[in-house]
Amino acid sequence: MKRRTFLAGATAWGLGLVSRPGRTADDLGYSAPPRFTRPETSGEEGGLWALMDREERNLRRSPLIVRDGDLQSYVQDIACRLGSDHCPDIRVTLVRTPLFNASMAPNGMMQVWTGLLLRVENEAQLAAVLGHEIGHYLQKHSVERLRDIKSKSAIGQVFGLFGLAGAVGQLAVAASAYAYGRQHETEADRIGAQLMHRAGYQVGEAAKIWSNLLAESQAAEGKGANGSLLFATHPAPPERRAMLEDIARSLPDGVTGEEAFGRHVQRYLDEWLNDEIKRGQYAESLVLTTRHIARKFALETMHYHRGEIYRLRGRDGDLDLALGDYRNAIENDKPYPLALRGIGLIQRQRGQRKEAIEMLSRYLELAPAAPDALFIQSYIAELNS
Amino acid sequence: MRGLLLAVLALSVFGCASVKKVESGTNRLGERFTISIEGAWNQLDFPGVKPAQVWTMEGVTVDEFLIFNGIRDGEVMNSKSGNGKQQDFVFRKSMPTEEIVSLFEGVLSRDNAVFKLIKIEPYPFGGKKGFRFEYERIRKTDNVQLRGVGFGAVDGGDLFALLYHAPRLTFFPRHQARVEAIAATAVIR
Repeated sequence: MKRRTFLAGATAWGLGLVSRPGRTADDLGYSAPPRFTRPETSGEEGGLWALMDREERNLRRSPLIVRDGDLQSYVQDIACRLGSDHCPDIRVTLVRTPLFNASMAPNGMMQVWTGLLLRVENEAQLAAVLGHEIGHYLQKHSVERLRDIKSKSAIGQVFGLFGLAGAVGQLAVAASAYAYGRQHETEADRIGAQLMHRAGYQVGEAAKIWSNLLAESQAAEGKGANGSLLFATHPAPPERRAMLEDIARSLPDGVTGEEAFGRHVQRYLDEWLNDEIKRGQYAESLVLTTRHIARKFALETMHYHRGEIYRLRGRDGDLDLALGDYRNAIENDKPYPLALRGIGLIQRQRGQRKEAIEMLSRYLELAPAAPDALFIQSYIAELNS
Repeated sequence: MRGLLLAVLALSVFGCASVKKVESGTNRLGERFTISIEGAWNQLDFPGVKPAQVWTMEGVTVDEFLIFNGIRDGEVMNSKSGNGKQQDFVFRKSMPTEEIVSLFEGVLSRDNAVFKLIKIEPYPFGGKKGFRFEYERIRKTDNVQLRGVGFGAVDGGDLFALLYHAPRLTFFPRHQARVEAIAATAVIR
């Protein structure tokens, strides 16, 4: 396919005019296997599928599932474009957990955690992670991993602790989610990049994910540094990032899908950022929110939450930084109520009675049913007295 | 709490955890903190459980009554459970109430549980000016939806608090009144 034809296809896809672009000829030549048929239950792989089916049933009942048809369909659709012929077998579930992670089981169950959705900047970056996981799926890495884990004596301890059923379940999850070897990771990276390219995405975005995660990791202090499971189990040395950049040079062009991604996740940002802040990894969260502010994404939301991080960290100078962020979040005609609260709480601590009363009162006017309404009223009464 | 639950299970198997019956009546929890209970509770003791005392009515995998008895400035609020890589949450005596509640949110989300604050209000606790808060929590280990209530006050720079949570549909309603009554008997000297 000529580049112009490809670009036209990618653009049309980006505009939602076509559901699935054709493959380009100028990629790395990966040929996906045909769709998998369910293996015999009596066999090793069939047993793993059956176990993952059970895990999937459990997962679908979980209150941690993000039950938003629109967002789920959006991510499912991206996975489908990447999976191409395998689309009917891929089932995406969004899970509310504030860590950067995605995984795909051999039966087609894919989990995407909200910490990942909070961190990627566009569809292309999301597609890079999903494509990587689909790469593991297409090459049946988890089945290989299962065989490897089974051969290790340590697994006997797991059986001893959880009992047989629990151990097998844990084993299946481990096989699908954890610790692929370096060769598998590299292979999944290359396949993921090609799937991205064929779906019309900018492959260069894949390397940016690792740059962003590295920036968070480098900012983290002491223990507790970087809770990203994907980062922990998919080591991302600089050469890996370099490899993705190399691939991107040979697979140019494509779209990022930034606007569409932002539109779909916008309404969840408060919830996901609240979960993120509760991790208590303030240095990492500051890098994350600062990055989004720099790219002018959801500015008021990001300013408010960065202000919260500074206020809760409470180091020398942090309250001033928090005030600055809160004030940025109330600049426009529709002030962010929680930012008014933040200013009020800080000014109360500082003895700035007049502004504290004004801001806390405005907060209650805008959010009369807030969980802390009674408490804030007591603060206002105290300040007035 | 996932680590805590697994630790309790594992330690129970290997005999490192002990369970002690706490009888009805006035219980002196430390030099400065006293509560009165009606009906017996079970107190769990195992390595790493501090700084909170952990009591349970139905079993630790079901409900937990956490007692924080005079947490000092600079003291870590969470247990030593987990993989050792998780963030510690440290109490500072200068913290206003809303930050103390945020601290509890962090402690109770340490296993990546989802925490939602339902309500926070002023509450005279232990004879001091304190606070009461209600919350919901989805435990990551087993996806159980919990409901909880907490009470606390800072006196002389030390934090005293009681937290109770249990599955929201049966166990929390069963024991909430009992816990509220205990909180009302608290005395901080």
